[in-house]
Amino acid sequence: MLARRTKRDRVLTTIMVIAGWSMVPVFLSAQEPTDLEVMFVHQVLPVLQEKCIACHGGKPEDIQGDLDLRSRQGLVAGGESEGPAWNASDPLESPLLKAVRWDGLEMPPKQNDRLTEMEVAAIQAWLVGGAPWPSPSRIAEIRLESPTSNLESSGVTVRTSGGLSETWTLRRYPREHLWAYRPLAIATAEPGDREEGNLVDHWVGVQLKQKGVEQAAEADRRTLIRRATFDLIGLPPTREQIRAFVNDPEPTPQAFSSLVDHLLESPHYGEHWGRHWLDVVRYADSSGFANDYERGNAWRYRDYVVRCFNEDRPYDQFIREQIAGDEIDPEDPEMLVAVGFLRMGPWELTGMEVARVARQKFLDDVTDSVGQVFLAHMLQCARCHDHKFDPIPTRDYYSMQAIFASTQLVERAAPFLPDENTDGFEERKYLEERAAHYQSVLREVEGKHTLEAARAWYQSQGLAPEKFERVVQQLRGDQDEKKVSFFQVRDEMARQGIDPALIPPRHVGFEPVDFGKERVARKGLTRLQWQRERYEPYALSVYNGMTPRWGSVHAPIRMPGQAALSGKIDATYILDGGDPFVRLQEVPPGTLSVVNLMGVNNAASEPLPTSAEGRRTALAHWIASPENPLTARVMVNRIWQWHFGRPLAGNPNNFGATGKLPSHPELLDELAAYFIRHEWSMKAMHRLLMNTRTYRQSGRHPEGERLQQLDAEQTLYATFYPRRLEAEEIRDAMLMVSGELNVEVGGVPVRPNINPEVALQPRQVMGSFAEAWQPSTKPETRNRRSIYALKIRGLRDPFMEVLNVPASDASCEAREQTTVTPQVFAMFNSEISYDRALALAHDVLTHQREQELAIQEVFNRVLGRSADSEEIQWSIDHWVEMTRTHEGLQFESKRPPIEVQRQAVEENTGEKFTFSEPLEFNRDYVPDLQPGDVDATTRGFAELCLVLLNSNEFVYLD
Amino acid sequence: MKLPMNLDMDRRQCLYGLGASIGAVAFQTMLAGEEQIPSEGPLAAKSGPFPSKIKSCIFLTMEGGPSHLDTFDPKPKLKELHLQEFVRQGEAKSAMESGKRYYVESPFRFRRAGDSGADIAENWEHLAHRVDDLCFYRGCQVDSVNHPTAMYQLNTGNRFAGDPAVGAWVTYGLGTVNQNLPAYVVLPEVSYPQGGAANWSNGFLPGHFQGTAFRSQGSPILDLRPRAEFTPAHQRKNLDLLAKLNQKHANQHPGDETLATRMESYELAFRMQMEVPQILDLDQETASTQQSYGIGQPETEAFGRKCLLARRLVEQGVRFVQLYAGTWDSHDYIQRAHGNLVRQVDKPIAGLLADLKERGMLEETLVVWCGEFGRSPDNGVRGGTAYGRDHNPHAMTIWLAGGGVNAGHTVGATDETGAEAIECVHHIRDLHVTLLRLMGLDDNKLTYFHGGRFKQLSQFGGQVIKELMS
Repeated sequence: MLARRTKRDRVLTTIMVIAGWSMVPVFLSAQEPTDLEVMFVHQVLPVLQEKCIACHGGKPEDIQGDLDLRSRQGLVAGGESEGPAWNASDPLESPLLKAVRWDGLEMPPKQNDRLTEMEVAAIQAWLVGGAPWPSPSRIAEIRLESPTSNLESSGVTVRTSGGLSETWTLRRYPREHLWAYRPLAIATAEPGDREEGNLVDHWVGVQLKQKGVEQAAEADRRTLIRRATFDLIGLPPTREQIRAFVNDPEPTPQAFSSLVDHLLESPHYGEHWGRHWLDVVRYADSSGFANDYERGNAWRYRDYVVRCFNEDRPYDQFIREQIAGDEIDPEDPEMLVAVGFLRMGPWELTGMEVARVARQKFLDDVTDSVGQVFLAHMLQCARCHDHKFDPIPTRDYYSMQAIFASTQLVERAAPFLPDENTDGFEERKYLEERAAHYQSVLREVEGKHTLEAARAWYQSQGLAPEKFERVVQQLRGDQDEKKVSFFQVRDEMARQGIDPALIPPRHVGFEPVDFGKERVARKGLTRLQWQRERYEPYALSVYNGMTPRWGSVHAPIRMPGQAALSGKIDATYILDGGDPFVRLQEVPPGTLSVVNLMGVNNAASEPLPTSAEGRRTALAHWIASPENPLTARVMVNRIWQWHFGRPLAGNPNNFGATGKLPSHPELLDELAAYFIRHEWSMKAMHRLLMNTRTYRQSGRHPEGERLQQLDAEQTLYATFYPRRLEAEEIRDAMLMVSGELNVEVGGVPVRPNINPEVALQPRQVMGSFAEAWQPSTKPETRNRRSIYALKIRGLRDPFMEVLNVPASDASCEAREQTTVTPQVFAMFNSEISYDRALALAHDVLTHQREQELAIQEVFNRVLGRSADSEEIQWSIDHWVEMTRTHEGLQFESKRPPIEVQRQAVEENTGEKFTFSEPLEFNRDYVPDLQPGDVDATTRGFAELCLVLLNSNEFVYLD
Repeated sequence: MKLPMNLDMDRRQCLYGLGASIGAVAFQTMLAGEEQIPSEGPLAAKSGPFPSKIKSCIFLTMEGGPSHLDTFDPKPKLKELHLQEFVRQGEAKSAMESGKRYYVESPFRFRRAGDSGADIAENWEHLAHRVDDLCFYRGCQVDSVNHPTAMYQLNTGNRFAGDPAVGAWVTYGLGTVNQNLPAYVVLPEVSYPQGGAANWSNGFLPGHFQGTAFRSQGSPILDLRPRAEFTPAHQRKNLDLLAKLNQKHANQHPGDETLATRMESYELAFRMQMEVPQILDLDQETASTQQSYGIGQPETEAFGRKCLLARRLVEQGVRFVQLYAGTWDSHDYIQRAHGNLVRQVDKPIAGLLADLKERGMLEETLVVWCGEFGRSPDNGVRGGTAYGRDHNPHAMTIWLAGGGVNAGHTVGATDETGAEAIECVHHIRDLHVTLLRLMGLDDNKLTYFHGGRFKQLSQFGGQVIKELMS
């Protein structure tokens, strides 16, 4: 457990475990090695071996530029272009040195392999010192016996389970890159004991003092409530909420603290913070790749996440449930839903794919996902080789993977919970209507495979039909020929061993269009099976057992029989280069050795179970432990980022050597310790972080320009850094201010209006086309919060996409905030945006016809403030002018089509063909308010609303 | 630069109210009739580290996996083996290898065309006249047999979605000269390929480098225009009010550059809204030019328009144009399926090459013809006597044309049945490295730090295929 001290001083206690390889040196050779020799062995040779030998060593025919760096002889002989690589008379001009400095020559050529300053310095010192190169036996001695403590500046070695090569195992790491493995450095004082305020303000203040900058003043209350409300629930505050907060007689810190408490009780808190989590786990409602089948029950995992945040489920428990819920309590449906986390990556198995490759893809995905999400480690780098930057041997990667060797995919029976929203299931009737349509198409086209069609085929091919007719005769006997189907004849001909060239093709009688129609119908029926899952009590889940031998997966997977549960579990091997067909050593289930060996206990972890059950539980306990130095740091860093717009440790998914170091390491550690002390409560963290001067300060700093100089990286927190609202916040806020938002929580995914052209855009899936996007029939269903929108990997809502909603392929550690032109098209030109503006105008004018008051109402709803006299004047002028423009305009009411004609190239024949897709939902579509429904005055006012919804003040939060 | 003349208002009037905004600067330049190439910003035009004459790339993506055996890599041996049983064994079997399989001869006849004597199936009537401008490459291999993963690998180097496309990398490296048009334009089929728009994604690169699909039906760029009832003048008024409100807000937030950038993007969008329809207006081309692309003939109309549009786009400085044609996934009836497809693309592609050459643009343009994989010399019995082919990641034919390309040569070779590349064999990553090099870029230096390392198009580095370069 973490040490808890009560002393009042702020002495930091750090436990550093740096593995020591040094023993008392005992040299067999007569001479002690020189410092340069030692440096060569520990600092130069590993670099040459790791970064140079691949091209400048090895087989003679592979040697590039005739330079062989395996020996001093090769070094001195040099290469074809530059002569000797070591310039004895002027070592600083040595081609080797210039090359590694990227001065003239650029070696190694890849950016990733470029030597660090430390490595270059070592090579320089070695070349200047005469480039000594001991014999192989002496190198071995030095490696084992020579003390390395005097090389501390060049980094330290780290104990792990060991790499594939000794060079890797003995690799040195800059001390600062190992911060994340060290136990938390815990301040000994409780935060309340600090004179300086709580620990956030304390540690931020320490750096500000060093830089000689003051924090900005406290933001005004309007700014604060807008900031806090978006921050915690992803929605703007209402005019009434703003008024109440602004007029709260309590001092601001107390009033703000009450506001935070109040917001944390909102059911919308879980929606907003759950969505942050869904970014990290890559939530989507479909499987991606060729078929992109719907994951009809994924929504139950989404709602589980929302529920956990709302209930403030302790984070350690949240981890255990997502990794091992099915093992912890298989009787609890929620636990079967929770492990949906393990299924979040894109995955499929088509008939084209090799099953073992697909299985390996799942294993790689889940291993890396656990690494990034909970441990902030890019484990995928250790899939093909020992990690190039971090102390993660490929052995550890496969040990982690072995934990999942018994984990199998399933859509598993899990009754709906009372907490789950099961409204709206009646929309299933539209899917059944679609199924009936496909079945009728199949009946129609299959009727074309007639004996007559086969005869026509013989004629067209100029082939003799005798053998065919003989078989027909055999099959019909005395009966009418109509009793014999074409396929019976065909099968019988094959059975009799008749030359395949004389057997009519399966699709005889088909026009090109029939190929297409049949395929679309069959595929459509397959796809419907996945969509029906939405309304069924099954969970996107896993079970433990042997790996099934599938050829392909085209329907939801149900639990197998007992035999599959008790069968032999796959052994896990280190795979050479990540290739599932090239096995090296077998490895048992295990965890990251560096964490164990550098951690509190400084020992290898307990062996993990090797039975089918319990592996993941053991992993979950290992991760969700106060002793795991990564887990709490990783999550508090994410929470910080979602509050302050930037993380403390620069890469929330990467605490390894290539991740950015923490800007406030002590703060990060103390926050992590606080998190653990407060039973991993996320709401406790929100209170801690938000009830600070740092959070409450203004976004405008009195010394703005000076601060920009001092704080180019924006990590000082001398001001509140403004941010653009995220896509979901923009859409949800638009719906809220227009009065259209339906705040219902949870349930089956809804389909909002998306760009109508994209909705109908034909989309290829394997052998067919995916169904069109049909918006939900009722406005109140469409206008739910964005988290509830159906999220199909292959069909992204362009409005959300251009506003930087990440694709669900890779874990998203931080949203981008790029400003690009298509955002303007989406926000300024799209019908989706215009519809909100129109609804806003209409809603305001329904309640308030007085011009100036109506304008004030819109400013207050959209911007959270009143307009000043100048803005009032601009608004009135614009409204009047646009009303005049609108007086001459006629609008047709727009409805989505009830069927769509699709033209495509049929894959078997290369012929273009057309088919029609009925759009059942659209038949019952109830439109949002249309421009034709309102007068020119309202439409003129809507133009003002549209402008405000596009304003920087609306989309930026400060 | 031409200003759109279809504005129903005076040009100066339309600028009213913009005085204080950044957008005004660009507009002043438009009024002065000067082309402005910005020297800053992520899309500013720049050159790569290597000398190159190439300014633009036109990437002809033959989606679905065109058969090398029926186009540019004849295999007389298959005539002998036709319908003999084919057996594939080993652990790495998929359902694609199940059932009885037969060798399948090509239903197409081949000829040797041009001074270079390049192999080409006879149904490529028009391209046969251009083979001396092409460099055929038969040595390329990929990793995946599935369409979306192979498409992702062709387009991004990675079999999984989420990495930047070649066009994104190129525009990241070279920027673009015309800021009023997207730098990277994609001309997809009406139906998007498997894997969807992730095939032209910016991936982890900033959003500026995302491919913009000019859709072949409906609005070319999504929401390029507001509802039809609203005129540009109408919209201009909204923009002017927006500029005033934003400027007032910006004055209260000095030093925040993101606010200015966003204000500017509204003006850029407005200009793009005016310029794009002009580019798309192919009626500005002469009748004979249109005919040379096959426009006016039903079977070549669609792809002909795309090819002509591609030329117009690169002429206007668009850096990377990717065209899709497909689907070439002919598992059955390859004669009919490939026959139709070749008819659809042959004349347009030949027309494009001829037109580029005539205008002196071929030397400044890199043209690539490529699918996501090749096809197998054998097939399972799917529809009885089904002369089709399955997917083949081990062999394919690609061709290149344009400045710096080793035109008039065929590089690499496949084995006697065309099942596998055996000469000058390279993984597709090396093709990527070569394409970048032809455009003056160095794959090892064109990197972006993401996910803990410097990422590059070739994923982990590759080599230039020197044989493809002149």
